[in-house]
Amino acid sequence: MRIALLTEGGYPYATGESHAWCDRLVRGLTGHEFAVHALTTHPRQEAGQPPELPAHVRLAHTAPLWGALSGAHLRPAGERRTRTAARRERRRFAEHFADLATALTADRTAGPDGFMIDKADRFAAGLYGLADLARTHGGLPALLCSEDAVRILEAACRGPRALPAVHGAQVRDLLTVTEQLERALRPLSLDWYGETPDGLGGADLCHATSGGAAALPGLLAKRFFGTPLLVTEYGVRLREHYLAHAAAPLTAPVRALLAAFHGALAAETYARAALITPGNIHARRWQQRCGADPGRLRTVYEGMDAAPFAAVADAAADDPKTLVWVGAIEPDKDLIGLLHAFAEIRRAEPAATLRIIGGDGHDPRAPGYRAHCRALAAQLFPDEAADDHTVGENPVSFEEIGGPEVPTLEDAYASAAVLVLSSVVEGFPRSLVEAMFCGRATVSTDAGAVCEVIGGTGLVVPPRNPHALAEACRALLGDPGRRVRLGAAARARALELFTVEQNIAAFRGIYLELISHAPGRPAASGAAYADGVPRPFDSPAESQVPGHWAAAPAGHTPSWAAGDGPDDAGVPAGAAAGAPCTGRGEGS
Amino acid sequence: MTAPTRKETAARPVRRGPADPVRALMHRHQELCAHAVDPLEIAAGLEAHGVTDRTAARFRHRDVFSLAEELYARVPRAEPEPGAAPAPESVPRSRGVRAALQLLPGAVCAAAVAALAAVEPVPPGASAVLPIALPASLVRPAVGIAGVVLVALALRLAVRTGPLRARTGGLPVPWVCWIVGHAVYGDWLLAELLSGGPDLPPHPRAAAATAVGLALAVAPAAWCARWFAVRGRRGLAASRGLAELAARVRPLLLAATALFLAALVAVLIGAGAMLGGMGEVDLTAAAVLGVLLFLARLLAVHGFPGAAAAGLATAAALEALAPALVLIARLPGLAPAGAPVELLIRHAGAAAVPALACAAPALGLLAYGLRALTGARAHSPALSAEPEADQP
Repeated sequence: MRIALLTEGGYPYATGESHAWCDRLVRGLTGHEFAVHALTTHPRQEAGQPPELPAHVRLAHTAPLWGALSGAHLRPAGERRTRTAARRERRRFAEHFADLATALTADRTAGPDGFMIDKADRFAAGLYGLADLARTHGGLPALLCSEDAVRILEAACRGPRALPAVHGAQVRDLLTVTEQLERALRPLSLDWYGETPDGLGGADLCHATSGGAAALPGLLAKRFFGTPLLVTEYGVRLREHYLAHAAAPLTAPVRALLAAFHGALAAETYARAALITPGNIHARRWQQRCGADPGRLRTVYEGMDAAPFAAVADAAADDPKTLVWVGAIEPDKDLIGLLHAFAEIRRAEPAATLRIIGGDGHDPRAPGYRAHCRALAAQLFPDEAADDHTVGENPVSFEEIGGPEVPTLEDAYASAAVLVLSSVVEGFPRSLVEAMFCGRATVSTDAGAVCEVIGGTGLVVPPRNPHALAEACRALLGDPGRRVRLGAAARARALELFTVEQNIAAFRGIYLELISHAPGRPAASGAAYADGVPRPFDSPAESQVPGHWAAAPAGHTPSWAAGDGPDDAGVPAGAAAGAPCTGRGEGS
Repeated sequence: MTAPTRKETAARPVRRGPADPVRALMHRHQELCAHAVDPLEIAAGLEAHGVTDRTAARFRHRDVFSLAEELYARVPRAEPEPGAAPAPESVPRSRGVRAALQLLPGAVCAAAVAALAAVEPVPPGASAVLPIALPASLVRPAVGIAGVVLVALALRLAVRTGPLRARTGGLPVPWVCWIVGHAVYGDWLLAELLSGGPDLPPHPRAAAATAVGLALAVAPAAWCARWFAVRGRRGLAASRGLAELAARVRPLLLAATALFLAALVAVLIGAGAMLGGMGEVDLTAAAVLGVLLFLARLLAVHGFPGAAAAGLATAAALEALAPALVLIARLPGLAPAGAPVELLIRHAGAAAVPALACAAPALGLLAYGLRALTGARAHSPALSAEPEADQP
């Protein structure tokens, strides 16, 4: 199958861990052809060399969502337009943009439920109207930047049913919003929607790796060609927009309008997607909240590579009572609470030690926080020596991966009796999954996706509760048998749910399922419509694959199939079979 | 799973809170809730602060979303600050240097005219003064060409650094050259053509006062453009609606044009007094031309280079029409074609042609500017954000 992979601000340019799943996915599914359509969000991403991709993956298009859009990314404009054509185009733009603006500014609470549906409809009408306009005429970015757009938006904001927050929108706010909308709607004007192998028209399935801007080309492909759309979200894009807008110096009307746009876009994406795969329950809850149909939600956990951790030995029975914390050091991780809890553990288990392993996080306060934690550790725990003649050591050590003590991540987990996680705020706890791969017992705080990941295979305590954390750790340190049992259960759970293989297998199944549900697409095979009725399974997925899909090994043909050639399959076989039958019939 | 309760837990003094637990949460997240535009924004913010569904259960809510809805409903929205601090003006680092650059074209042009005047008499031994022994007949053209090139360079420098810098696209250079060239040499050309010329080899007679006056007017033009841009941005920041913005900017544009016209006339009168040879019609023609160029540049600076180019092209075409008509009139049987031009020139002087040719497009540009430059797009802060190379 030909899969169009739609990405925004990440794969294949960024190399962070959060985008690694795309790489693992395309490398795992070698039977399909992938065409990557990338939207970049920062100049830095396009600056480097295009990354190396496997043979069945190619980078079809790249377009920027920042700065000015150059003509190279736009759909080539048709013949030179006359003045009347330009005026007609402007009138169409005004009509569709007014729909969009009304949908964005309309007050959600102003009417009964019927009005809500109307709102979503108007957004869709405006969005697809603009898409059609951009497809037939081009020139949408210039129109979105024009004075007309500002005027239409102003009229919508002053309308009788507009949100109270946008009533006070000033001219500057309107300008900011139209500029942001121009960037957000850029995918409408791109030259991606062709029937060529590189275009989205030639794809069997669009797989958007996030909501928001990346899903927009998928929505248009769905509309223009009927291509099914699969949306995968490991972090909910709408939520990220809310957090980014709250941090940016924007006025309330701007935030209200942009939030309305992203919310409506998310709702439209979830409504049109054939299947949505959230990465965890948290994302799933947000998607349901935004109107996703629970029947089309299917949680697919982000796979992690278990191979490096397979070699880690089980914890020794005479373990020296080492607690290990692994992660990026940030205030959200509440290491101070951990140190207080450790002080309490030490009162019961004087031999316990704590290793804090990790570098500074992205938070700007991280370096200061690290120093603060070190100072607190030095205050709480004096250096200790075994006897009068050796140099003492602090029971709490701060180390980084790659140092002499912990050359690799696996060594960090191997040295642990219990892995502790003390976060107050957490997304998907990677270190917890890694510890589960290593078969270590864990104690973690109830934050983010921790409960969902750990299931019943570790201890969970409330966040910001050092006493509970200490009690749980002490219980595990004092009971090696329980540690082993919990560790084994955790490893089994992690290997079942969080490996790369399960992720790839899930997507392989989803791809085939979606393509089998897609009726014969007019773009792919016009003959599929016999009498206006689409025929399911008319063009199976395999028909799109060049050659190697399900190819039988050469030189080996089963014996029962050998004689089934066109020359000897007909009459002789029937005659040969018929003769004994009749003979037997006569005989009886 | 749960830690066993210790004995001292019971003894610990229980913190007495209000009966309504959400109130404490409201107080803690007051700013987040008051500035939120949407319950979902509060939900996202709460989650970023570590509130989970389990926490929400403590507040008797099913999940964070319903807790956020209660907070959104209960916390009054913050009043938008009345005059949000306007974006800090980008003050150029070396304003003195930039101001001096705006004066450069005028200074270079005056120097060039002075140099030309110095070589004018062509005394018999003059060529010996120059380092290279040029034939006396070539000294004047050489000085003239050098002057033109230097003035063009100074003009380019001035226009690319100051408030006259256009981000989206400059003015078409050929039209500008033709119009300015016509202002300086047009009188001579028309006079030659009408008297049956041109004679070969040509001895062009330049309108030196016009050239110096126009070059000196670059500085007031830059000042007026900057005044208009700054006041326009201020108006944009202060206005609530597009109509209010237009009402604010319209007088600004008229005032800027009038200010520039006054400064231009003053400079031209000064140049005429110094160099002589400037009649009333010449003055009018030069002033109208200056206003046309100013308006065209203003439109280009604020993002309408297309309209500016159209205005200049119209003026250039009208100016080219006059000599063309005179030449056409020489063809047999087409003599009446040149009559209007001859009539005009006989009654009002040769400078009336450029005056009329520039006045119509200048009025057109002013009318267009009153519509286009009063919109929000013309004063968008994004327009002055990214510097790009352009043309003068």
